[in-house]
Amino acid sequence: MKTIIENNKMKIVKKQGLYEPQFEHDSCGVGFVANINGTPTHTIVEDGLNILKNLVHRGAVGGDQKTGDGAGMLIQIPHVFLKKISKDLGFKLPDFQNYGVGFLFMPQEKTARDKIVSIVEKNIKKEGAELLAWRNVPVQPGCLGEMALESMPFMNQIFITVKGLKKEELQRRLYIIRKCIEKEAATNGFSMQDFYIPSLSCSTITYKGMFDAPMLEEFYEDFADPDFKSAVAVVHQRYSTNTFPSWPLAQPFRHIAHNGEINTLRGNINKMCARETTLESPLYGNDIKKLFPIIEPGNSDSGSFDNAYELLVSSGRSLEHSTIMMIPEAFGPSYHISVDKKAFYEYHASMMEPWDGPAAMIFTDGFRVGALLDRNGLRPARYIITRHGKVVMGSEVGVLDIKPEDVLKKGRLAPGKMIMIDTLKKRILRDNEIKSSVSRRKPYRHWLNHNRIELKGLFQIPATENLSDTGSLLTIIQKSFGYTLEGVEKIILAMAVNAQEPISSMGDDEALAVLSERPQLLYRYFKQLFAQVTNPPIDPYRENLVMSLMSFIGRERNLLDETPLHCHQIKLTHPILTNDDLDKLRKCEIEGFAVSEVPILFKAHKTELKEALDDLCDLSEKQIDNGSSLIILTDRGVNENYAPIPALLATSAVHHHLIRAGKRHLAGIVVETGEARDVMHFATLIGYGASAVNPYLVFTTLADQKKKGKLPELTLETAIENYIIAIKKALLKIMSKMGISTIRSYKGAQLFESVGLSSSIIDKYFAGTPTRIEGIGIDEIEKETLMRHKLAYGETSIDKKILDSGGSYHMRKSSQNHLLTGESIVILHRAVRENNYALYKQYTDLINHQSQNLCTLRGLFHFKDSEPIPIDKVEPVESIVKRFVSSAMSYGSISPEAHRTMAIAMNRIGAQSNSGEGGEDENRFKKLANGDWEISKVKQIASGRFGVSSNYLANAEELQIKMAQGAKPGEGGQLPGHKVSELIASVRYSTPGVMLISPPPHHDIYSIEDLAQLIFDLKNANPEARISVKLVSEVGVGTVAAGVAKGKAEMVLISGHDGGTGASPLSSVKYAGIPWEIGLAETQQTLLLNKLRSNIRIQVDGQIKTGRDVVIGALLGAEEFGFGTMSLVSLGCVMMRKCHLDACPVGVATQDPELRKRFKGKPEHLINFMNFIARDVREIMAKLGFKTFNEMVGQSHKIETDKALAHYKAKGLDFSNILYQPELKEETSLHATSKPQHDFSNTLDFEIIKQAMPALEKKKKVEINMPIRNRNRTVGTMLSYEVSKRFGSKGLPDNTITCSFKGSAGQSFGAFLASGVTFQLEGDANDYVGKGLSGGRIILTPPKKATFRPQNNIITGNVNLFGATRGEMFIRGKAGERFCVRNSGANAVVEGVGDHACEYMTGGRVVILGNTGVNFAAGMSGGIAYVLDSDQLFDTRCNLEMVELTPLTDEKESKFLYDMISRHVKLTGSTYAAEILHDWEEMLPQFVKVLPIDYKKALERMKNFESKETELVTVTEEIY
Amino acid sequence: MGKLKGFLEHSRVTPSYRPVHERLNDFNDVCEKLSEKEICTQASRCMDCGIPFCHLMGCPLNNLIPEWNDYIYKEQWSDALKRLELTNNFPEITGRICPAPCETACTLAINDSPVTIRNNELTITEMAFSRGAITPKISVTKTGKRVAVIGSGPAGLAAAQQLARLGHTVVVLEKDKKPGGILRYGIPNFKLGKWVIDRRIKQMEQESVIFETEVNVGIDVSAHYLKKYFAAIVISCGSEAPRDLNVPGRELNGIHPAMDYLSNANMYLSADTPLDTILTARNKKVLVIGGGDTGSDCVGTANRQGAKKVYQFEIMPKPLEWNEPWNPQWPEWPNILRTSSSHEEGCERKWSVMTKSFAGKDNKVTRADCIMVELKRKNGKMELSEKKTSEFNINVDMVLLAMGFTGIKENKLFKDLNLAMTDKKTFKIDQNFMTTEPGVFAAGDAVTGPSLVVRAIYQGRKAAENAHNYLTKQ
Repeated sequence: MKTIIENNKMKIVKKQGLYEPQFEHDSCGVGFVANINGTPTHTIVEDGLNILKNLVHRGAVGGDQKTGDGAGMLIQIPHVFLKKISKDLGFKLPDFQNYGVGFLFMPQEKTARDKIVSIVEKNIKKEGAELLAWRNVPVQPGCLGEMALESMPFMNQIFITVKGLKKEELQRRLYIIRKCIEKEAATNGFSMQDFYIPSLSCSTITYKGMFDAPMLEEFYEDFADPDFKSAVAVVHQRYSTNTFPSWPLAQPFRHIAHNGEINTLRGNINKMCARETTLESPLYGNDIKKLFPIIEPGNSDSGSFDNAYELLVSSGRSLEHSTIMMIPEAFGPSYHISVDKKAFYEYHASMMEPWDGPAAMIFTDGFRVGALLDRNGLRPARYIITRHGKVVMGSEVGVLDIKPEDVLKKGRLAPGKMIMIDTLKKRILRDNEIKSSVSRRKPYRHWLNHNRIELKGLFQIPATENLSDTGSLLTIIQKSFGYTLEGVEKIILAMAVNAQEPISSMGDDEALAVLSERPQLLYRYFKQLFAQVTNPPIDPYRENLVMSLMSFIGRERNLLDETPLHCHQIKLTHPILTNDDLDKLRKCEIEGFAVSEVPILFKAHKTELKEALDDLCDLSEKQIDNGSSLIILTDRGVNENYAPIPALLATSAVHHHLIRAGKRHLAGIVVETGEARDVMHFATLIGYGASAVNPYLVFTTLADQKKKGKLPELTLETAIENYIIAIKKALLKIMSKMGISTIRSYKGAQLFESVGLSSSIIDKYFAGTPTRIEGIGIDEIEKETLMRHKLAYGETSIDKKILDSGGSYHMRKSSQNHLLTGESIVILHRAVRENNYALYKQYTDLINHQSQNLCTLRGLFHFKDSEPIPIDKVEPVESIVKRFVSSAMSYGSISPEAHRTMAIAMNRIGAQSNSGEGGEDENRFKKLANGDWEISKVKQIASGRFGVSSNYLANAEELQIKMAQGAKPGEGGQLPGHKVSELIASVRYSTPGVMLISPPPHHDIYSIEDLAQLIFDLKNANPEARISVKLVSEVGVGTVAAGVAKGKAEMVLISGHDGGTGASPLSSVKYAGIPWEIGLAETQQTLLLNKLRSNIRIQVDGQIKTGRDVVIGALLGAEEFGFGTMSLVSLGCVMMRKCHLDACPVGVATQDPELRKRFKGKPEHLINFMNFIARDVREIMAKLGFKTFNEMVGQSHKIETDKALAHYKAKGLDFSNILYQPELKEETSLHATSKPQHDFSNTLDFEIIKQAMPALEKKKKVEINMPIRNRNRTVGTMLSYEVSKRFGSKGLPDNTITCSFKGSAGQSFGAFLASGVTFQLEGDANDYVGKGLSGGRIILTPPKKATFRPQNNIITGNVNLFGATRGEMFIRGKAGERFCVRNSGANAVVEGVGDHACEYMTGGRVVILGNTGVNFAAGMSGGIAYVLDSDQLFDTRCNLEMVELTPLTDEKESKFLYDMISRHVKLTGSTYAAEILHDWEEMLPQFVKVLPIDYKKALERMKNFESKETELVTVTEEIY
Repeated sequence: MGKLKGFLEHSRVTPSYRPVHERLNDFNDVCEKLSEKEICTQASRCMDCGIPFCHLMGCPLNNLIPEWNDYIYKEQWSDALKRLELTNNFPEITGRICPAPCETACTLAINDSPVTIRNNELTITEMAFSRGAITPKISVTKTGKRVAVIGSGPAGLAAAQQLARLGHTVVVLEKDKKPGGILRYGIPNFKLGKWVIDRRIKQMEQESVIFETEVNVGIDVSAHYLKKYFAAIVISCGSEAPRDLNVPGRELNGIHPAMDYLSNANMYLSADTPLDTILTARNKKVLVIGGGDTGSDCVGTANRQGAKKVYQFEIMPKPLEWNEPWNPQWPEWPNILRTSSSHEEGCERKWSVMTKSFAGKDNKVTRADCIMVELKRKNGKMELSEKKTSEFNINVDMVLLAMGFTGIKENKLFKDLNLAMTDKKTFKIDQNFMTTEPGVFAAGDAVTGPSLVVRAIYQGRKAAENAHNYLTKQ
């Protein structure tokens, strides 16, 4: 039965307020199933449907609790089925592959649909094709959610033939037809949401829509027909961060299904767009123009990828060739790969940049289907090959029920690897075979050797003799580029000395650039984007093997062709050029490689920056037309008459001009500028199109400093090299924040958001960059530039030749405004110590008096006049303070005294303190005799998982997942060894004196569905506690928050960019993240639009200082408030910014026993502060007429902005987006009114706990047996909660509770398993087995009936034993990537592991009886691993930076190893391990012991009782 | 920054005073010098604070203290000087006589002894002088504008120097014989040797500042003349009207305003005048009324002149005796008992003493009648009240009134210029340091009332900056 909803105009949520659709993220479950022999069967379709059903938990539903985020299936054209249909429709269907089928999402509204019909028919005709029939696809909308239904398109299929064409040729014509139709529809005003073609092909068809996976078959009736057959089915279940229904964006697309995220999209699209002008293919001839634009506007990242991929494939490149061109594996020096393969990748690097970001990509043309993981391999991809010739690939194992005896092979894709099933050849192609044949199809290596340009002497030791030429003019030139003393000494010199960027602490409270009175460099108007939740950042230090700064510059050629000349470009190993390097480029005389120079200066005495930019763009284009392959933009020659055009503006202007002209790929851009010096400067220049930068003034400055004796211990050469190293490291770090691995794709990717630039500037010069509050225009930029120029050259200034102090980092009187001043600190100290509210008000006057001290956006806000109410009608102080928390600060970053005082204070007033990262001393869980409580009620779960055990989680009211931190979002951190005291080591389960690393990503959160999984895990770990997620404000944070809400967190914390830190790179403090006003408003608006707001509370933090700040936060949508900096200030902090140096003179942020004695804070001080704030809030509430806090939340219309402000920059700001309120139904609540309901329907623990009651109540032994499957997730965690609640961290005696499971376990099997519990699993398991293991035992064995050899097969997924603190695990078989990441105490035996095993490990013993992947032991600072190194190549796969490899000589240790393996044999029945024991004498010498160097020292120290503080080794090469 | 945790390794060391018996015999500097190495060590105690309270809240000149402390620690003396000269024209003077509010505001003064900022400042400057590193900064371009600076105290000198360096032609008009104002005639030599001022004046002369001394404005030169021949005028005439003590017997001989006494002593030492026997304390019993710095200077001078006995009475109660190294009222100037080098040299100090009257013989003062007072809260205000039966008297030959100043001394010029005044008898200025008369600026004590030298320098610089803006806009 067909139901057609007429006249229901589709409701699409468009860009409004702060919500921007381009920042939607999605992530998901993917999979495929195929018959290797190519026989189409209905079983394959059913299998596909089943896979989807078993991946449901990886998807999500929206605010209406019904609308799914999308699901779909791509199959071969079901010819038999269609033939049957054609009879009903009354036309004759040609032979298979002689006709095309199109699937069309049409407008519901009749006239619009008619218009589309005519467009479709017209274009088919125009391209010489014949339309055979229209088919109305029968659907069952009854199963749809309200939101999906409102936007449901009308479903049509069309059938087309072209005379004489079939297969590929027909496919190409269909491609042209589709493009023509799309284009004409677009010109007629139909957006992708109005009209969309999911597929038009002669081999495949895509069924998809906005529903949950199981509803696919319910919605499309076709699936039920037994003749609906295919040999291949690709499926996709989407988890989107929002639920604005978008039918077109459901997956699979036409060729691919993608789980992950393309982060470099903006750059990729721009580059594709520019390349169109040089696209040529004999296959298309003149028709190629009909394909433009290649990338459909409004598409998602995956959709855009599909567009580009389609072009490559349809122009004759093979599926696999096209795939690895777009997602190349890493081929850096750490990898053993063939020279041909390396050459292949390098050759293609000169043609196309990687589409970078996490990706599990499934691709197909209907007959071949394959899957590929990106270089980081952060998405799970497990496969099973059956004896009956079927291949099942999925995000999880166990998605299809396959009898154990039918399994031929169980495997997983390793990072960068692929697999492909060719149903025509009826075989499986493995990674090696595919890549060796692709990489040898042309002599790429020879082409490269003969054509790649390698300039002699590039990147050699820099010559220094010519550097100090500018002499006495230096200071003046420095001033014209805005140099300050602080910049020279704290940034440039620091990098030259330490070869790494400087570290700072506490938050950034400097005035925003757009609010600053002083001229600001343009860079300050940009903020770095960073990955949070939706994709993982990379660890640029421990995992830099996947990263690369190499790029090619020169002229790119036709993308669709490959010739030797394609790689006739200059290879740059990194983008920072010394003066010599640039000289060599300038002077190079290479045929076919012309270099030209364009000055970026403008006349200082006129106002013609705009004209100068136009000229600059024209000139650059002309140079390209004249054959230039490289353009050097230079601002050398600044003098009294000429001022420099801001280098970033010049670069991006030229970049975008050339993109628009379609010439961007024809030349590289190198910037020679005196302006760039800070890491952010380089990142933005490259991010907006520069291939390389020469910061000449830095080098001259270093030469000058050297001459002045400021670099006594370094030669100038070393200083320059160190500086470059620092910039390189920092660039890797900035890229890694977004999860981007190569500079090639970072270049031009514009991963920034602007705060304070007008859209006129953005649209013209930085197109595609988000800017949400408007700001300055070209005139103001010019004015700022000329102000600098005047300071340098203008008038007869006395101190012309002396640099300004700066004051951006450490305050100066003459400097920028800072929110906290000496005065305000002093007054507040007095106020809280004397409990003097009048003094507090003096303090708030200083902070709030923004005409004197304008620092923040909220400084420009005013409360609208309202009807006041008497203050006694307002909610009391006691209830308002309960909304306050002291922000997370770890036990290592602040002193124990400060940490405890804060907890006591917050507990006394019924508010909460936050443990921060790093565990908590269990002694604090009990109340003190005087009734005080030192417990932190909020327990944080950060990426390092230090001290996160079942007992820790059980003793909390809130569990907070820290995804990012305001001061350094997207980055990890590390606690240097000297700060790891006995106490800290004990709560973190580590060794005193040994460095501890918090990785940038949570290794169990690579995407939004992973976060949902962790939320679920934590809910199991403590069902009483609420789960919250901490995010940092950036563009798109609202959509992430929506994803968080759908992941069923109860609270989302939006942190401002200005949050504090104990240690963070300076550039991150200054340049990452945005003000919370924007992020909070975006979150509120997006949650409301998604109908999710009522389910989730919002907390905000970031330099919240007064009651006014709190009220503004509330009006913008926050219910709760965090105070970090101010909590510390109340306890005596004086903003020394020395936390990272352990030198806090007031004992707040230090572990130094001498300094800790100076701590004078009392709980009363903090209590007074919190009460003052609440009282202040209450007074404002009375003025605004709010009785209760809740009614105030979200009432943004109570805010107005100061229009009268005469500030020359701020006057351009426009806050209407922040204050925007979406149109809502009346009953919509602006604050949370309920809690999300977790779905425990597949939870086994209720039954387990029931059966385990005798053990829990009387410590009696119990044994439990149970089947399990992948839907049963997080098994054992709630049981462990029951154990921890009753017995604390000690748990139960060994083996008190024994559970035996059979089947495929879902994710997080045995997570946080407590002592006394033993889990045995016969079957296999997915990711995160034994996560946070807290003393329990897990035994994994393959099914008894299985015939495969376990030691060669993957039986458990990725990230097993992540953050385990105690316990044991025995695995008969291999585990996936990142085995034992951050293990701090569990012991394990496994028969083989993937990449990155034992990363960041700090304790425990791991025995590996087989091969390992690469990067073993990266960042491993404790514990020991024993690896059976049979091929004697283990050292090449091990990251040797922090560990040493030794043979096992110690007898006690050999015995320990023997015993471990014996137990493994006993517990798992491993015959493989038994053989090893059998030949022990021979096998023992093959074992390698992996021991962290510092750990070894620490062990020795402990052994010798020599733990004197002074002798602790310094291990902090990179504190960050 | 200095050395990380340097303050934990090293404690504060300040220069010691020469022995009392030795220093009482001369008017030379009372301080010893520290070694260069020790100064570097002291500078290493500076923490380069995120919020440098010394620079922001302590020093009125906003000296860039953390910056030069760091340079001292690294022994980069010439850079230290550069940063110091950026904010302070006369660091060799403030380095000697400033009460150093920077040190009371030093972050270390929260719970430890502060960095020796003042002595570091002095060392930078004296080392620079000894190395010949302080040279005239002669302006290359000349604006051709003439500016008159009235008064050559710290504000006037600072204004004159700044303006000259900006290329203006500056004429300083001084009523006394030599330039320097209070620096020269108010502060005793044992605190500030006059060679220090001469050295600086020489530099200023090389920078083309013209000093016209013994010129009495309003009498020797008219307002009309000044306005006609100068494009701008900066008035920095100080706040010279002393607060008087109107009690019976005040008219007796032997009772002098402190500044008359001090300047006479100074003039004698620099051979500007012969010794005035009336104004010397030799063999006299001296009572200094007023417990402030001027009073203390009187004590030191009187002792050196050979006084028989010196008393110093203060009407306010004795402040808190404080022997800890830190500042109990951080970062503010604490109200604690201070003992100067002069006090150490012999002096009987009393607090809560009100002088009720003087008695004399032969028209010369011989006795002071006093009473003890208490500070009490009355109607919400603190008020002084006499303590019953606490009267006492002492025999004196000389009484010095060091009770502060009440504003500028009246002058025909200011009347002729028609300048508006505040209630405190200081000049009324706008935010640009301009008086009510266009082109006429004012700075220093003439604006703020009696205050610190360091604040006067700040005022002078500000007035100069604004005068310069005014002149360049003309």
